[in-house]
Amino acid sequence: MEELFEDIEKLVRTEKRVAMATLVATRGTSPKREGAKMWVGEEGRILGSVTIGGCVDARVIAESEKVLSSLESRLVEMRLAAEDAWEIGFSCAGDLDVLIEPIDLTGFDLYQSVRKAIDGGRSAVIATSLKNSFDKLLIIEGGEVSGTLGTPELDREAQTTASELMRKRRSATVLLANESLPVFFEVHGPPPTLIVFGAGHVAMPLISLAHDLGLKTVVVDGRPRFATRERFPDVDELLIGIPSEIAASLSYTSSTFVVLTAHDYKYDLPVLKVVLPAKPAYVGLLGSKRRGKAIREFLKDGGMDEALLEQLHVPTGLDIGADTAPEIALSILAEAVAIKSGKSGGRT
Amino acid sequence: MPALYSDVLLDHFRHPRNYGSLVAPDVSYEKFNPLCGDRIRIELKLNETTITEARFKGDACAISTAAASLLTELITGTQIEAVAALSGDQLIAALESNIQPARVQCALLALEALRAGIEKRFKDS
Repeated sequence: MEELFEDIEKLVRTEKRVAMATLVATRGTSPKREGAKMWVGEEGRILGSVTIGGCVDARVIAESEKVLSSLESRLVEMRLAAEDAWEIGFSCAGDLDVLIEPIDLTGFDLYQSVRKAIDGGRSAVIATSLKNSFDKLLIIEGGEVSGTLGTPELDREAQTTASELMRKRRSATVLLANESLPVFFEVHGPPPTLIVFGAGHVAMPLISLAHDLGLKTVVVDGRPRFATRERFPDVDELLIGIPSEIAASLSYTSSTFVVLTAHDYKYDLPVLKVVLPAKPAYVGLLGSKRRGKAIREFLKDGGMDEALLEQLHVPTGLDIGADTAPEIALSILAEAVAIKSGKSGGRT
Repeated sequence: MPALYSDVLLDHFRHPRNYGSLVAPDVSYEKFNPLCGDRIRIELKLNETTITEARFKGDACAISTAAASLLTELITGTQIEAVAALSGDQLIAALESNIQPARVQCALLALEALRAGIEKRFKDS
């Protein structure tokens, strides 16, 4: 479950009103991305963070207490001079905008709608006017819309922007209405999914670690003796059957990671024929470079496009000297996270 | 040194015949090897006792896949009784390869699925 919903559940039990601080814009270096939240309760409870701590969070807490007193939202702009940044532990300066809103938790159903969408496998975007934070538009993937930013034209413009940001899975502040109105788009999506083909010994720590990282996990194998709950206590779904047939029945998005750990061509080849054209975020194959070359050549001879073959990561995982199954699992997930974040992960 | 697999076996592995599924098959049976994970499903369309169409689907090794492909060719258009008469040795011989004892079960997986499927069909009806 997304950390946000866990925080809300905790707050609802102890608080009636909270200040919700949301990082809505960053310029320069920032340890957290837009959308990061901190909650400050009327009863003093603090959850989350808009940075990694330090003076910025302290200032947000102080501003949140003012918001709770006045019950009026405020946009706090923090212009950090280089020396301030050094002092609070940043390696370089970054400017932050934090929107702080008073929230009455007794009628707080906006995020319930978001959660319902996510539980149903759909993304949701909350668009909030930074000039008047009471103007909000909720856009659910598939076309469902509620609330308003003020005018139908503005709502239509916001829906177009929301669709683009949903695809990128990135929250951001965007200027609408001929660049006159800053609107923060808070993007929420279903958790990333890890699909592992092959229920062998590497798959076991891979699933456990992925579970700890908050990923939804699926294990596919043709052998009921291997794909068991006992071996995979944390897995969300265990699917047994013809692996390539199961692969064809699954859906792949820009937040789906696929790892083939069977180390057996009879699974690898037919599954890759299905998975690579579906363009998930990551496809990794357990095996050596030599094995990877042979697999690529076989698929190429079968007519697979070279651009698709380039998406295959083999050997899968970052080169961290992994030897044991848990170490290999760590290297695979490290590479998958790096790819998702658009980082090299140290690869040259 | 002779090649491990014959051209016949490699051709059926690389270009399997009758690969896929049938709409509303009269016989459908899936069999797997619990250790290596070979998994083959055989489907048939029957006209009374004649096998009019045969398909197979599965992720399996070269021997299993080639044997399943070859088998579907051998049985299409034949009478069901002919399946009972088809021996494992005949199927292995048709692969024209030196199948080692440890791999015989791979070569026979599809045939076992076929026989079990037919038996189930006539037991149920």
